[in-house]
Amino acid sequence: MTPFLHINGIRKTYGTVVATDHVELSIAEGEFMTFLGPSGSGKSTTLYILAGFQDPTAGDIKLRGQSILQTPSHKRNIGMVFQRYTLFPHLSVGENVAFPLRVRRMGQDEIAQKVKRALSLVRLDGFEDRMPAKMSGGQQQRVALARALVYDPPVLLMDEPLSALDKKLREEIQFEIRRIHQETGVTILYVTHDQEEALRLSDRIAIFNKGKIEQVGTGPELYANPATHFVADFIGDSAFLAGELAGVGQGRAGLRFADGSTVAAVPLHGLGVAGQAAELMLRPERIELTPEAGPEGASLPVTVEDLTFLGNNTTVSARTGWGAALTVRLNFGHPLAGRIARGDRLHIRWAPEAAHAFVKG
Amino acid sequence: MLLDFNKLGAWKWALSAICAVMSLFLLLPILFIVALSFGNSRWLIFPPPGWTLKWYEELFADPRWMGAALTSAKIGVIVMVISVALGLLASLALVRGTFKGREVLRAFFLTPMVLPVVIVAVALYAAFLRLGLNGTLLGFVIAHVIVALPFAIITITGALETFDPAIEDAAILCGASPWEARLRVTLPGIRHGLFSAAIFSFLISWDEVVLAIFMASPSLQTLPVKVWTTLRQDLTPVIAAASTLLVALTVLLMIAAAVLRKGKSE
Repeated sequence: MTPFLHINGIRKTYGTVVATDHVELSIAEGEFMTFLGPSGSGKSTTLYILAGFQDPTAGDIKLRGQSILQTPSHKRNIGMVFQRYTLFPHLSVGENVAFPLRVRRMGQDEIAQKVKRALSLVRLDGFEDRMPAKMSGGQQQRVALARALVYDPPVLLMDEPLSALDKKLREEIQFEIRRIHQETGVTILYVTHDQEEALRLSDRIAIFNKGKIEQVGTGPELYANPATHFVADFIGDSAFLAGELAGVGQGRAGLRFADGSTVAAVPLHGLGVAGQAAELMLRPERIELTPEAGPEGASLPVTVEDLTFLGNNTTVSARTGWGAALTVRLNFGHPLAGRIARGDRLHIRWAPEAAHAFVKG
Repeated sequence: MLLDFNKLGAWKWALSAICAVMSLFLLLPILFIVALSFGNSRWLIFPPPGWTLKWYEELFADPRWMGAALTSAKIGVIVMVISVALGLLASLALVRGTFKGREVLRAFFLTPMVLPVVIVAVALYAAFLRLGLNGTLLGFVIAHVIVALPFAIITITGALETFDPAIEDAAILCGASPWEARLRVTLPGIRHGLFSAAIFSFLISWDEVVLAIFMASPSLQTLPVKVWTTLRQDLTPVIAAASTLLVALTVLLMIAAAVLRKGKSE
């Protein structure tokens, strides 16, 4: 079956600089897909190619099986909300939202009706006559959202639309965007560098790094089963313990560390052979601190270095036998919380699927 | 601020005094000519022994003066329209364009500002002799557009640079073709700049005298040229009246430009 939206091997270079390299992605109709990555990772470039503001060096983009690359931006019928405020400063809110309908030569009554509905969708009923300059940043972005949705585009692009707003307002509008996505069923491609925003909004997330997609998946998938070091580092907190591979087989591997301690049967990502440099990833909230050693191969001895009480949890900084740092989180009320002190020698243990090994290089 | 006016103490008065003297120095000739235009002495005695409006009556009754004023206004308006239109197109290219040599082109467009006007005048005179444009309306317009255009370009590029191109992009994604977006969104967005450019272009043409002297013929001259030629024949207070009107319109338009700028900053 042809996917609703297919980004097929998009590559974009500026001289010798590669902005995106073979970006490949299929998006289902009605899906909320987020491009997550640091600045310069190619996520915005991909979005701008979709919008038609840039032409790819190679590759194709197909909407319902039809390539859209030959269609100029203004005929693509795509909606977009920008990072910066882009309301037309000389037009009222109502006229801003009406603009896409006016250029489509729609009838007066139909325009009035659609504008009213779009403003109601973003909860700005009755703001028709307000001028953009007299509105807050959050309100302006909501008008921009109404303007981008008023002509029922099949795809809505959002390029870090909330990055200019403060944290509290951002969360409020994230909630609104979710609601609007559910109410309209529009397919959304959302660009952000904020992992929390991505997790809160998206059906699926594509993690961008250095012009490539590192992994695509739902939030829980990316968190529980990161394919690369980069993804593990970007989604959630994690500690990486450097060592070398000792025994590889069936997608799992053992690791040996500097002081000779070993772990076994950790899910391995990347191709590697015994002796090769690799690292063990452990998340602070998925490892357990215990007085006794856990099962062989899924446990390591540690020394407590520091304790920080953070309300709902106590964060324990610890060091392994060979001196690598890691943190463990104890939820409030954990039997060990309040009973351990600096310098205590304890053990960490984890469930077999909670740790991951990444081949280095 | 390091140099806070209110914290300067005694210097405050010294600075205010210097300002007052400077303003007076700049304004005095103008005030002088205005006073003379209303004075009843034919020999331009200052201070005037009495007051009258007869020089204005003479001015408005003389078809040569009125003809010159009309010519000035006509040329000014045509120059204004052409200068803003060309200035807008040039500015779009200079600000939004990404072609090679953009900065060189920008500098080139501004050269008439730094070139001595008399050189431009001599060059144009020589060129127009061959083309038969001396003493024609078209000749005047071309000459004045050359000196007005840099000001229009500076004003319009300034306005365009502060207008976020993302707003234009938004209009295009909304379904407007690139030219429709520029016309319906960018143009209204920079209208303050366009109005300022129009006012300045008109004013430059309105009180330009060097090029106009070269372009003028006995049958076609602008107001400043008429002032100049009359001055050489006889010294009459009508000149003062004409000068006052010239200055009045200039001041009026300058105020309009200032109000526009203020309206924009609010």
